[in-house]
Amino acid sequence: MPALPDHPKQRIAARCAPELRAGEVANLGLGIPTLTANYLDADAGVIFHTENGAFGFGGRPALDAIDSDLTNAGCEPITLMPGAAIMDLATSLGAMRNGYIDVTILGALQVDALGNLANWACKRDGKWWPGIGGAMDLCYGTRKVIAALAHTDKHGNSKILPRCTLPLTGKRCVKVIVTEHAVFDVTEAGLLLREIVSHATLADIRAMTAAPFELSPLLQARTA
Amino acid sequence: MRYVNKVLSVDEGIAHVLSGCRLMLGEFVGAGEPACCIEALLASGVGNLTLITNTPGLRGGFLKARLFSSGQLAEFIGTHVGTTDESTQAYLNDSVRVAEFFPMGTWAEKVRAGAMGLGGVLVPVGVGILDQPDMFPDRGAPKPTISVGGLTCFVEPPLRADVSIIKGWRADTFGNVEFRGTALQNQRDIAMAGNYTIVEVNEIVEVGEIAPERVGCPGVFVDAVVQGLSLDDQHALYKRQWTKLGRLPAAAAVA
Repeated sequence: MPALPDHPKQRIAARCAPELRAGEVANLGLGIPTLTANYLDADAGVIFHTENGAFGFGGRPALDAIDSDLTNAGCEPITLMPGAAIMDLATSLGAMRNGYIDVTILGALQVDALGNLANWACKRDGKWWPGIGGAMDLCYGTRKVIAALAHTDKHGNSKILPRCTLPLTGKRCVKVIVTEHAVFDVTEAGLLLREIVSHATLADIRAMTAAPFELSPLLQARTA
Repeated sequence: MRYVNKVLSVDEGIAHVLSGCRLMLGEFVGAGEPACCIEALLASGVGNLTLITNTPGLRGGFLKARLFSSGQLAEFIGTHVGTTDESTQAYLNDSVRVAEFFPMGTWAEKVRAGAMGLGGVLVPVGVGILDQPDMFPDRGAPKPTISVGGLTCFVEPPLRADVSIIKGWRADTFGNVEFRGTALQNQRDIAMAGNYTIVEVNEIVEVGEIAPERVGCPGVFVDAVVQGLSLDDQHALYKRQWTKLGRLPAAAAVA
């Protein structure tokens, strides 16, 4: 695997890329997940879905090729690759509910040891804000949810918790957690640390992770 | 065969939006918005509206987002308020009522139910989450559920509107609409869910110019056709906004 970037957000995005497999239909959430596309080879064979209604979109168009009727879920200009397909909104969201999206990478405010994910609401002036969008449909129907998030918040508190405290987006949906320091698999038995992707030591990872975790056999093989 | 000519001026169309209306607009985070009708709505000052849209739109004072700061909205029914500053402020300072947020697929199916004459839809997404006590105190009543074959679903009533305004690429004078690209969205469902439906297009053509299989929204569902921005002017409008938001040129790095 090539060296990962130093910048935390870019490192998370880059480390998510090899979690995607050729032939998979993938939906990348806004923010860090969108950057993951920059770390995939053009022939990686991943079919990108955007919930406003397309399979098979590609990168940004050239400035003179921008079309205001070709946009992604964040209203940014995109291109459509050969083989792409456009669908209406209800079909696109139905595809998400009904398991036609193989994998999604989602940003998160919190994830927990059960694979619960919280990313749609925090309390602001006493109200839940900002809202749900398509994230709950994605968590509901997608086989493999990858949570891509900073390991800790700006105060240094772990975002990987024994139990989420914010309203959930999806229950027991997360299969892989990728941070700027580590990769965890979420299993029936709890979290398994599969990889350390920074200079952090195992003791550092334990100190910054509020959720309990065990070491994956894959990690032990790597460090043996 | 003679077809009724439904072409109106933007102002004639917008005159159907009365104070207290339930108004549904096509869009997705600002893409596929009926720009000229929104400008006319803002200029009209018509108020006390319930706005039913997927999102509040695109940030940076763009089109529909300004309805949230104009004082014309009483209520918003959608999936999210955080895509623009205007909608965030209106939500937090209670100037626009938002009783609850819907998952996007649920919102789209509620509109579709309104479009298709259904009594509602059964949606399993969010059960055990969105029905938690205190999640949406303004909602006033708990979300009803029903169990079908062991799957617990919310019973979601349909969404309909007094006036729907959609955006297409081109329409004939009878209102048959052809869409472009990802601006397809659920514009057709929104058209069908409105008691009075306006389509704003980049280009108005004669009946017969759009091949029947290219009609994305039959004119039978449309009451008024209004001329919007030309396609070139629409591209220029979005390019200006994207430039303002720092989204152009391509591949800008995340800070």
